[in-house]
Amino acid sequence: MSFVSLSLSNRGPRHILAVAALAVVVLALGGCRERPSAHASAAPGADTVDARPAAAPGQVTLPAGITPAAGDWPMPSGDFANTRFSPLDQIDTANVRDLRLVWTFSDGNKQGHESAPIVIGSTMYVVSPFPNYLFALDLTRPGAPLKWSYKPPYLSAAKGVACCDWVNRGPAYADGRVFFTTLDNQVVAVDAEDGTEVWRVRLGDINRGETMTMAPLVVKGKVLVGNSGGELGVRGWLTALDAETGRIAWRAYSTGPDSEVLIGPSFKPFYPQDRGKDLGVQSWPPEAWKMGGGTVWGWISYDPTLDLVYYGTANPGPWNPELRPGDNKWTSGTFARDPDTGEARWFYQWSPHDLYDHDGVNEHVLVDLPVDGRTRSVLLRPERNGYMYVLDRATGEVLSATPFAHITTSLGVDLRTGRLIPNPAKVPKTGKVVREICPAAPGAKDWQPSALSPRTGLLYVPFNNLCMDMQGTQANYIAGTPYLGAITIMYAGPGGHRGGVFAWDPVARRKVWSIDERFPAWSGVLATGGDVVFYGTMDRWFKAVHARTGELLWQFRTASGIVGQPITFRGPDGKQYVAIFDGVGGWAGAVVANQLSASDSTAALGFVGAMNDLKQYTEQGGTLYVFALP
Amino acid sequence: MSSRFRKARAVWGLVALGLFAACDREERRFREIPPGATALPAVTQNDANQPGPFIRDPEIRNTYEENAWAISEGNWLYTQWNCAGCHSPRGGGGMGPPLMDSLWIYGSEPENLFQTIVEGRPNGMPAFRGRIGNADVWKLVAYVRSLAALTPMDTRSGRTDDIHATTPTPQTDANLPMARRIPPEQRPPGMEAP
Amino acid sequence: MSRHRALAAPIAVVLGGCAGRQAALDPAGIQAERVMGVWWYMLIVAVVVFAAVVGAVLYGALRRRDGSADTVEVEPARERWLARWVGGAVAVSLLILFGFLIVDFATGRAMAVAPEPPALTIDLRGYQWWWEARYDHPVPSRRLTVANEIHVPVGRPVRLRLTSTDVIHSFWVPNLRGKYDLIPGHQTTTWFQADTPGVYRGQCAEFCGHQHAKMGMLIIAQPPAEFAAWYERQLRPAPDPVDSVRRRGRDVFLSGSCVMCHTIRGTPAGSQAGPELTHIASRRTLAAGTMPNTRGHLAGWIVDPQRIKPGVRMPPNQLSPDDLNALLDYLGSLR
Repeated sequence: MSFVSLSLSNRGPRHILAVAALAVVVLALGGCRERPSAHASAAPGADTVDARPAAAPGQVTLPAGITPAAGDWPMPSGDFANTRFSPLDQIDTANVRDLRLVWTFSDGNKQGHESAPIVIGSTMYVVSPFPNYLFALDLTRPGAPLKWSYKPPYLSAAKGVACCDWVNRGPAYADGRVFFTTLDNQVVAVDAEDGTEVWRVRLGDINRGETMTMAPLVVKGKVLVGNSGGELGVRGWLTALDAETGRIAWRAYSTGPDSEVLIGPSFKPFYPQDRGKDLGVQSWPPEAWKMGGGTVWGWISYDPTLDLVYYGTANPGPWNPELRPGDNKWTSGTFARDPDTGEARWFYQWSPHDLYDHDGVNEHVLVDLPVDGRTRSVLLRPERNGYMYVLDRATGEVLSATPFAHITTSLGVDLRTGRLIPNPAKVPKTGKVVREICPAAPGAKDWQPSALSPRTGLLYVPFNNLCMDMQGTQANYIAGTPYLGAITIMYAGPGGHRGGVFAWDPVARRKVWSIDERFPAWSGVLATGGDVVFYGTMDRWFKAVHARTGELLWQFRTASGIVGQPITFRGPDGKQYVAIFDGVGGWAGAVVANQLSASDSTAALGFVGAMNDLKQYTEQGGTLYVFALP
Repeated sequence: MSSRFRKARAVWGLVALGLFAACDREERRFREIPPGATALPAVTQNDANQPGPFIRDPEIRNTYEENAWAISEGNWLYTQWNCAGCHSPRGGGGMGPPLMDSLWIYGSEPENLFQTIVEGRPNGMPAFRGRIGNADVWKLVAYVRSLAALTPMDTRSGRTDDIHATTPTPQTDANLPMARRIPPEQRPPGMEAP
Repeated sequence: MSRHRALAAPIAVVLGGCAGRQAALDPAGIQAERVMGVWWYMLIVAVVVFAAVVGAVLYGALRRRDGSADTVEVEPARERWLARWVGGAVAVSLLILFGFLIVDFATGRAMAVAPEPPALTIDLRGYQWWWEARYDHPVPSRRLTVANEIHVPVGRPVRLRLTSTDVIHSFWVPNLRGKYDLIPGHQTTTWFQADTPGVYRGQCAEFCGHQHAKMGMLIIAQPPAEFAAWYERQLRPAPDPVDSVRRRGRDVFLSGSCVMCHTIRGTPAGSQAGPELTHIASRRTLAAGTMPNTRGHLAGWIVDPQRIKPGVRMPPNQLSPDDLNALLDYLGSLR
């Protein structure tokens, strides 16, 4: 199926890379039988609109048992399916141009604000970047004054082992408590009413390079949290804490023997390469799994019907792949686990033997949609390697993998074996510089979460358009220091824009519209029942676009660049509000947040190469903006 | 042959000899400890502001800064011991602050840097006391100061062979993916332009 | 070869000192034997030529002294005779040199290709001034990394992939194989085979800096079963210390400057700036073949390596006697 490209290659002066690029597309589409051919419009320039009809209404539905956040916003992802969709429709495409700033709040912190506020009843909770303070704001009173704040004790030294700014991705609420993680590896449960500490436990050690940045997910009385630090040779894990006591219920490592990865008789991966004893040891050089990465710092989804949680594991360490021959299980992949026991049910590896720091931690959006004429329970996964995957979420079978970005690193995904086919010309080597690696280390899409609207049936994906040059070097594991083995320089991909947001039709598997932005779209996306999609840009715009066309409807100039996650909620007064944090930072914004030298393209693990002009567009910040109609 | 010519030849010979004598190889000290490197003086000052009359800091001269070999050894250590991971291979920073600019949080004098490496700093710089011998710390100090051009010009490395040696490839039309360059009517069925 | 040896018995007596564990004239494998074949061929031809030339010179000199008056007579017949002799000698020289070329070329060809698929592939990397060997294996968790002492099974071809991390080095184990360069940023491939069990010394054969002379290694050829047992032992992580002294030694290692450069698998020490030490006590030499691996030598090396190998990157270590003893106990337990 993939060799259509060969006949083409005889027609003109096509060099091998071009053939490879074509093969990518053809291979990836190999699985799409009986489907109309699609030519998504992808011309550069903002607000590109495709005239073709989108997925038929009602084709893409939320899984059974998933209630989208209506009124409240109890977790950063909105709901267990990670849709970031709110049915609230007071703000719609017609009146969004009248949105007004209602009140603001500063948490006094100037690092990157990747956090999402959460709203329960008449209280909003926000967590600041490190030191991670929790603020409760009273929504019943004008201007939402501070109700209380909670400030846990902290270890200042944790800043030194945080790879990508001192961010936090938000709190979570369940049963009268607010849970959040701190950079210095504490998980805290705070009484949602009065702000008293219920319990606080420390799960990791900064002297081994561990930090925590993720938002917890609370499922069936368990608080699920993972660690960060894949750039420091940290061994990744996901831990379930008893929401009542904070005691560890189970801990599942991402590398090592089956007993520690919680792989037992109920583990039934779809593909044969994932079956076998102790693959988390066998697929590594001796003892390398102990410092092998696979940290868990992204998003967790939960399907109440199948009773499974889904989460991704990050990149293997060190970055230089030559130093860790083998598939490096179970890094850069997705686990489905039983939330009660932690036992693994299936695993799929997005990037076996990851070559480019393509963490597998992106979100899984759970939906039911027609595949080959049959409605299937799937998860949508915009992956760093540039493919939009559709997986059967009961088995882990890859139903399709369609490229959505400029890819030179791989030739496609073999749907028979489920394996990504790397491009041999772009394999990094020690002492050699490999150029034009696309997508770059942050991937075609990093942690920044996408949103799905069941009304339009579209997935709204914030993306990066970055390529990089990479040189492998020796890597020395010294606990608590970086374990990389690579020097990278990133730069803008084709078109010159460094990111943007596109709408993806998961049924037709094509882009419906795409908006280019100057910088990577490092903020989350929010979709609402009023068919408005919100997102922020690093050059200080908070934007509302039309969910069906991508047309820009409204924008607001913030004080600093935006890397946070927009949310919407119904206030005690019955009005719909939209909230977003500004405060540029994170890996992409480190050049501003950590005041780096823009002249060194290798700074911030190479990201400064692509962001050396960010200082001209924004300074640091940290303000929460809340908008409503007048 | 005239005696004047013979005299001129002798003079030129002496000049040549003198030139060759100047070709002295830079000294590489393997066991010697540089001055001031045995121990840190009791008082090192991190703040220019002090109450009362001005007390002069004991000045420490790190002779490794005048030695190209020692600076290149400092470079090797900087890479091997993962300083580059936080501060970037060229000192632009990342997890840690940049070292190539003129802003120094804890001071730019050799003794400040020595103290930073050995004692650590409260905002994340690890303490390498006991892990790195004094001589190697001073080599690192010399290299870090060379990143910010604080060391003599003649001992700094002039070029690198690594990824910096050429600028990244700009993405031109020729680098666009194949899919974009094939006219729509020639594209195989199902092919998308990403 | 034995025929050559018999012919050149007197020379072999003179060169008797060349036998041993670093000797090109004492081959232990097919590759070194081929090199030795060329060596003997060239030596014998050279000796014969030398003898002939010296004989001719002597003949000429003596004949002149015995000869008649110093008059130069031009005799056409004599001229022709001389021209034939000179022409013949030139032709013989050319033939001899051409013979050298053929033998050399044939040997080079024979050495380039392994007779059968290699039983083992080793990635050998040169550092200033030590060697690192990584044994390849299809199962990643069975890949082994060792330093300065390579064990190989007897009678099996071993493929070597050579590269360097800093400057050009050269792999030379005279008993097993001629020189082959390790070039930074480039991989070269060669092979060798040890047919006789034994311990052979290798030496860097390309000047690579201050301690080029002390960049040695041992290649230990063992019967396959013994080799397999060695491989299994080396794959194991370092044993946990069993008593308080060794525990203290491990703590000294992990909290001192050792941990910045060395790996001991099974502990958090994972730096590869220096040779890995997981089974240091099983090795025969220290500091890349510089000295025998004894407690005393190890102590001297840890305390002041610059006296033994000036310019090496290992720093001096000031340890209290108790700490040093504990560290030596611990390292001595890493068999």
